[in-house]
This record gives sequence, structure tokens and C-alpha cells, in this order.
Amino acid sequence: MTVSLWGALVGGVIGTIVLTSGLRVAQELGVTRMDIPLLLGTIFTDERDRASAIGYVIHFVNGLLFALAYYGVFRAVGHAGWLFGAVLGVVHAFLAGGILLTALLPVVHPRMGTPWTDAAETPLLEAPGFLLANYGRRTLIWTLVGHVVYGAIVGGFAAGLT
Amino acid sequence: MERIDGYAPIREYALIGDGRTAALIARDGSVDWLCLPNLDSPSVFARMLDAEGGGSFRLEPTIAFQAERRYLEGSNVLETTFATAEGRVRVTDAMTLTESRRLSPMRELVRKVEALAGTVALRWALEPRFGYGRAETRIEHRSGRWFAHAGADALVLGVSAADKGDLHRGAITGELALAPGESAVFSLSAATGEPAVIPGREDAEQRLESTTRFWREWSGRLHYEGAWPEAVTRSALALKLLTFAPSGAIVAAPTTSLPEWIGGGRNWDYRFTWLRDASFTLNGLLRLGYHDEAHAFFWWLMHATRLTQPRLDVLYRLDGSEDTRERLLPELTGYRDSRPVRIGNGARDQVQLDVYGAVMEAIWLYGRAVGRLDGDTGREVGRIADYVTKHWRDKDNGIWEVRDERTHYIQSKGLCWVALDRACALGEIGLIPNRSERWRAEADELKAWVYEHGWDEELQSLVRAPDLREVDASLLLLAVFGYESERIDATIAAVERDLREGPYVYRYRGGDGLAGEEGAFLACSFWLANAYARTGRLDDANALMDELVGLANDVGLYSEEIHPRTGEFLGNFPQALTHLALINAAVRIADVEAERKERAA
Repeated sequence: MTVSLWGALVGGVIGTIVLTSGLRVAQELGVTRMDIPLLLGTIFTDERDRASAIGYVIHFVNGLLFALAYYGVFRAVGHAGWLFGAVLGVVHAFLAGGILLTALLPVVHPRMGTPWTDAAETPLLEAPGFLLANYGRRTLIWTLVGHVVYGAIVGGFAAGLT
Repeated sequence: MERIDGYAPIREYALIGDGRTAALIARDGSVDWLCLPNLDSPSVFARMLDAEGGGSFRLEPTIAFQAERRYLEGSNVLETTFATAEGRVRVTDAMTLTESRRLSPMRELVRKVEALAGTVALRWALEPRFGYGRAETRIEHRSGRWFAHAGADALVLGVSAADKGDLHRGAITGELALAPGESAVFSLSAATGEPAVIPGREDAEQRLESTTRFWREWSGRLHYEGAWPEAVTRSALALKLLTFAPSGAIVAAPTTSLPEWIGGGRNWDYRFTWLRDASFTLNGLLRLGYHDEAHAFFWWLMHATRLTQPRLDVLYRLDGSEDTRERLLPELTGYRDSRPVRIGNGARDQVQLDVYGAVMEAIWLYGRAVGRLDGDTGREVGRIADYVTKHWRDKDNGIWEVRDERTHYIQSKGLCWVALDRACALGEIGLIPNRSERWRAEADELKAWVYEHGWDEELQSLVRAPDLREVDASLLLLAVFGYESERIDATIAAVERDLREGPYVYRYRGGDGLAGEEGAFLACSFWLANAYARTGRLDDANALMDELVGLANDVGLYSEEIHPRTGEFLGNFPQALTHLALINAAVRIADVEAERKERAA
């Protein structure tokens, strides 16, 4: 089966738009306080407006890089499709929600608190906590659904645009 | 100090902490309260709530002693000097801060003992009781240290004394005798969900020194020119201990279920952040020059509330998570048999409209100080103001969280007016979308409603609610927040007449749906001093403040309430709201005095 690089990249762009919009909708509905662009952008600035703008760019670049990673997996196994992409999306969600955001981001983020932050520091952002629960108990579900949809889109385009 | 049935008076406690958790130490050297790893985690020491089975870390002379104590100047490091017939010994207690460049304990309590004169024999006993005393604890001695485990929690005790201690019925006990010039160090290292860092004596002493340096540097930045610098500095240091550094949230008190009346059932968990305190917090931090902390608190405020905006909840967890369910702990006997012991707080489900005024005042203070709000925040603030226009007519539970039927509390209405007034001000200077015409019209209608329904001609006062015709000390906050009304002066006079006894002020005299009595509410006394200053009664304000500053315990801390006849502290301790009210009253008086001097000049 042929797997399309361009398809994966187009899928990455569309998937990231859907994922980001979905989380934004969840914020507006009061389901989660997860704001990925803000979390990423505040690594560089404490001005919210600028942080969000920078964060969107970083998130889109990440979306493309992950699409490339998906493409690598599709090529390695010789198969692509929306269902396989969705399965990879589950792995992606746990990688993002369970490791990157939960464990890694607080350690590298200059404005985020960690369990070790003490009185000598004044961080501006609370950490996501175990399985992102600090940002609302349904955050993990939305993150999971968002990434599954992302994966399905990348997988579908990678298989379809050949 | 005498214990009653094993319980030290609440007044006899001092607080140490590290910005993540805090411990209460009685004058007799017993650490009777400590939650790990965070302020709102389950306790490992809860002798305050169960003298027999709660757990503690005791350190005291083996013979009769007198104890004097103080905080090292400008710090949250506690120094207790025990004087006995055989000599004197000094114990320095602190929770150390993390050293970023070296591997240091996740949390650490250091107790350094130094002999000053003669040879004083001391005994110590560590009784860890994880999970509010309910978790099964395993204790063992290996590699020269004591290890106590329960689930993912662990404590490691390092003792630099000849007697390493013995294990007896779940307690590690030992004795030491120090000659002049000798010292010993106890380092209690805690870990949750990670390997414990084994403490060494030199490292622990270094951390103790650097922690003392940090606190002095931090308190040295405080800016206050007024009559009560010591009380203000101590209050600021106490607030810093009540600030949960990982998120910037401020806990109302580090304890749960210390009773509002001995033997009573009004025992609540205060280890949450109440939005009601937001304006006092931001005003205090900004006015004392702690801009980083103010900035962090504002970010926490706007981020924590995003799940519910434009509606605001009454209280929030320190880490932003949502579970605040109220539960009982029947295993704990309660402070001097004051049951039940509660964890979690059911007030989360209440409606308290006054929080909108407190939050909008906080946003106004922050916006004015910083000069800008980002677009997203500005729109969120505008939506909160719109929400107030739609909901100020609702019944609520009021600032006192009355667990009875909701009604139209006048203080809540007044604070809704404050919310709309500040929204107008923010809109007019361009910090939020300007819908001030609509907000102002609604504020005017609200004020007319308060005049019509909230004033009692016979009492010559605004009242608690149209169906509760009595004076309410929370109405003082209308004066504090600048609610413009010719009836405020009369209401202040009515509070003096009906609720004040000497320096003490009761919240109200009527019912609130709960059985039992309660003490005088200390924050109300400071609000009265603040209201005096705001309405130009500076002499009254100064006189009351002098009295109130004298009511603190020997290390400058206040509880929530006080028994008006015995002076006994009641309620959770130390109480952020009381210390915030002190700071706000002190800076208000200083401001009014400065304005008067300026005008005179």
C-alpha cells in the first residue's frame, strides 16, 4: 500500500486545526482549562496575547512534526488509514497528556509550578497534574478524543492522497 | 503551657512552612500538625485533632521547663528556648526550601538543638500517622536512619545524636543530653511518589541557614510606613506560608476542623482558596510591594476560575483540581472532643454573590497597578460583569456561608454593586470592553433596591437581609470597598452598638441554620478599624488597631475567632482572612493619615 507524505502533512495541518479548535470549544463549554497555545507560548513570554500567538505557531509546527512521525510509522508497517491513525492517536494522546505535558513541560517551563516549587519562587502557571486533572477532570477525555481525531485525519489523508 | 486532655491551646501554636506545606508547633516543642506533601494533603501529624492517635513529633526536656519562643527576626524560622533547673537549651525549627543545584528532600523539617547553659536532657518521639491516622504505617531502621512508609508516602529521620532511638508501639523515641556548645540536628525528610532523599547533618544545617537568609531577604522587601510595622511584617510572612507556591493560590488556613466553639460542631476544612479573599490579597500584596506574588495570584485567579466563568465558585482547590467534596473522619476524636472532623468543604456548592465584588475589585486593583489586561482576560472580565447584571437579584447563601435557605443578603447586593462599579471603571479606562452605560444603569437600580429593602428605620442600619432584620458585621465591607451611601456611617454605628464588645466584633446575633455558639470574628474587628479610617474616624481606627494588635499570640499570629471573655483562640489557625484584614486596615490607616498630612501641608 502506498503512503503519502503530502497526505500526512495536509492531514497534520487539518488535524491540528480540529484538535486545537476542539480544545478551545471545550474551554468555552467549561469542560477544561487546558489551553495548549498558552502553555507553549508562555515558555517565551508572560504577555498572554503574545504567548497565545506564539503558542499557536508552535502547536502547528508540532502538529506537522507529529504527522511526519505518523508517516514514519505508516511506512514502517506498510499501511495507513483512518482507523490505524486513530489507534496511533491514542498512543499520541497518552504521550502528550501523560508524559510531555504532565512530566516534561513543568520541568522545562520557566513560568510553571512543579511539586518542588517552594516559597522562593512565584510561578505564573499551575502544573497540569497527574493525567491533566488539575485543568478539569474531563481534560484527559477531551485530549484523548482530540488526538484520536487528529490521528484518524492524518491516517486518512496519508492513505487517501496517494 | 498546660495541655487539656492532651490538647495545647490553639493560641500556643506557631507556624513554619516552605510554601508547599506547613507545620504547627506547640510551645512545648511538639509538632502537632503536618500534611504531606502539600497543605491540602492528608496529615502525618494530627495530634491537634486526636491527642492519642493523630501523630506528632515531640522534642522536650525530660524535667519541668519554661518555654519562650520567637521567630528569628524577619523570618519564618522558629526558635524555642527551654529553661530548666539544670540549664537552657534552644531548638530551631524550620521547613527548609529546596536547593535548586543539589538533590534535596521533597519536603524537610529540620529541628536543630543547641545547649546554651548547663546540661539539659531531652526526650524525643516521632509518631508518624499517615493518611489522617488511617493508613497502615511500616517503620524500620536501616542505613543509620529511620524509615516510615505508607503507600506512596515516606518519611526518613536522620538524627545526629548518640542515641538513635528505639521503636516502641509505632513511635520512635530517644533521649539526648547536650553540654554547652554541643548541638544535634533532627532532619525529617518526606517524599511522595518518588525515592526519599536521605538527609545528612551538614546539608540540613546549610539548608536551615539558606532558608533563614531567604526569609530575611523576602521580608526586607516589605514596604510599609505606618504605626504597626511588626504586626504587618508578621502577617505578610504568615501569608507567604499560606501561599501554595506551585500555583500561587492562598489557603484560608492550613488546618481543618479546629472548632469555632470548644466541643461544638462548627468545624470546617479551610485548606482551600476562597475567592472572597481575592481583593484583600491583591491589595495587601500590591501595597506592601510584593508585585511578583500579586502577579502570580492574579494569574492563578483568572486561570482557576476558567472552568466556571462567568459564574464564579466560592472556593477552589490549591492545585486547580475540582474535588472539594465534604467528608467526615470519624476515626479522629476532634480537638478537645469537638466533632465531627471534616475534610473537603461543602460551601463549594453554595451561591455567594459577594465573590463577584471581591474578584472585580481585585481585577481593578491589578489592572490599575499594571496598566493593562490582555484581550482574553478583558473579555472574560466583561462577561463576569454581564453575569452580575443578570444575577444580582438572585437569592444566595451570603458571605457567612449560611447553611439555611437562601435569601437576599444585603452585603451580597452591595458587593454586586462594587463589581459593577469596578467594571465601569475598568471599561472607561479601556482595560476591558466598555459596556459601562449598561453596567452603571444596573448598579443604580441595585442601589435603589438596597435602599428600599435593606434599610431598617428602627435599627437605623442596613440589615442582614430584608427578612433578617438585624445588624451584620459584613456590612462593614461596604464601607471598606467604598460603597457610596450616606447610610454607611449609620450602619457602622449600629455595628458598634449591637455587635461590638471592646475590641471584639461578632458576625451577627441571629441564627444561621447551625446549632452551637461561636466566638467573636477577628476579621470583623479589623474591618471595623478599616471602616473607621475610610469614613474619617482616624482616632477610633488607631485606638481599635492598637487593641487588636495586642490580641495576637506571642509570635504574632491570629486564629479565625476569639473567645471574648477568655481570649482563647477558636477556629482554624492561623487564619489568612484575619491577617489580610490586619494588613488592609493598617495600610488604609497609613494612607488616610498620609492624605491628611498632605492636605495639611
